[in-house]
Amino acid sequence: MDPIGVLRLRMSLVLELQDVPGQLVAALEPIASVGANIVTIIHERDAKTGALVPVQITIEGDKETLDLAIKKLTEKGIRIIEKDGIPLKEKVNAILIGKISEEELKSIVDDINRLKAVKVADLSLKMSTTTSTIKITMEAEHNSLKLLEDEIHKIGTREGLLVITET
Amino acid sequence: MKISIIGFGAVGQGVAKAIRSTQERLKRKYNLKIDIVAVADSKGAAVKEDGLDPQKLLEVKSEKGTVAYYPDHGHENMDGLQVLEEVEYDCLVEVTPTNIITGEPGKSLITKAMKDGKEVVTSNKGHLSLFYKELVNLAKKHNVNFKFEASVGGAMPIINFAQETLPSSKIESIIGILNGTTNFILSRMTAEGSSYEQTLKEAQELGIAETDPTQDVEGLDAACKSVILANSVLGRECTLDDVEVTGITRITPEAIELAKEDGYHIKLIAEISHDILRVGPRLVKETSPYAVDGTLNMATLRTDLAGEITVIGKGAGSIETASAILTDIINIWKSKQS
Repeated sequence: MDPIGVLRLRMSLVLELQDVPGQLVAALEPIASVGANIVTIIHERDAKTGALVPVQITIEGDKETLDLAIKKLTEKGIRIIEKDGIPLKEKVNAILIGKISEEELKSIVDDINRLKAVKVADLSLKMSTTTSTIKITMEAEHNSLKLLEDEIHKIGTREGLLVITET
Repeated sequence: MKISIIGFGAVGQGVAKAIRSTQERLKRKYNLKIDIVAVADSKGAAVKEDGLDPQKLLEVKSEKGTVAYYPDHGHENMDGLQVLEEVEYDCLVEVTPTNIITGEPGKSLITKAMKDGKEVVTSNKGHLSLFYKELVNLAKKHNVNFKFEASVGGAMPIINFAQETLPSSKIESIIGILNGTTNFILSRMTAEGSSYEQTLKEAQELGIAETDPTQDVEGLDAACKSVILANSVLGRECTLDDVEVTGITRITPEAIELAKEDGYHIKLIAEISHDILRVGPRLVKETSPYAVDGTLNMATLRTDLAGEITVIGKGAGSIETASAILTDIINIWKSKQS
């Protein structure tokens, strides 16, 4: 029995799991271990990409329990791609090296910001006598990461820059 | 088993050393006696039907610069093809230098050996990254073994590992560090904050980078290895021309510093999957399996059933590379016994 006055909340998460036996149980274990109730589980098999399948789960508990469940899932390396219907954004970095003028840098940032579900969050610039090195930190939805990477490499090729992105 | 070693540089000599130091164990464990019946280098050859002495071969090479002066059995100006024509042997160990333009002389040597019905073991990346399919088909046609574990990752097991240890799983991708020289340079730049040019010089002084470092630092060596893995492990048909290659020469100390601020290292990463084939500098998390330092190589294989599996090992070195060659020879021997 819950103590009187503790508000029980429902939260809907979309997890991205490997499509192999045992993965779902492994993802549910940390949720159950913190005492959250599992209300529904829906495999979104139609949305399967490669070896990964999105699984929508609804869980119930007080706020602390739900926060703890998210923390446990993240610690286990389970990717949460959506929370209560809103795609979670991820931070990604790219480093650009070469000769870049201020205008060119501005146009690069504009090009990135124009991409769907992507935004430049931070810029760091270091200059040496011959070259500039720029780190761009971006926020993007999980689904846009691949597109973003391709786009940055395209920009690099266009501007004659060396582009270093994350693995 | 009678072997002919063609090419007697660091790897060829490593094979002689490895055979010398393992002969008793191989005899006891596998009932395998390896006789080196011929060795050829760029100046000549040594040939002895009942087996050359590995110790003597190494001494003559180190004192005179060529095995052609091996007492009573040396032949000046005898080349590899002549050796294969005249000597009775079971397995060719082809360890001539890598040539990424023509694949020679390795390609001709291998072709001849296969046509003569001999087994072939090689560490050479040139012909494999240019003519993989042709060579593998030739081996099939003549019903001979063709093994090349030593061509990728030196001592680090990867080709045999994927093909023979993981036959249940489909390999979806391989991502890894396949060149020790560039990994050493980038690791040093990360630890010391030094420039690329400075660090390359240091690597050359230590003998880790060659006088002409182009193949390593421009990513070509890693590209060759990627092609070999794409063909042999992922079943793709591709050659060196299909790899998108970027080297490490433009990487600045500032880039390494900016990466470090967020817990990243810069590594030369090879990515091989069914639709990607590229080598280039990438940001890797310092807590990830990609963050191995020094001359080490590593590779993460993504599989359908087994999940991700990572191997790490010494990617170069005379004895280390020879260990992979010897493994191939032993496996050929074992397959012949059953």
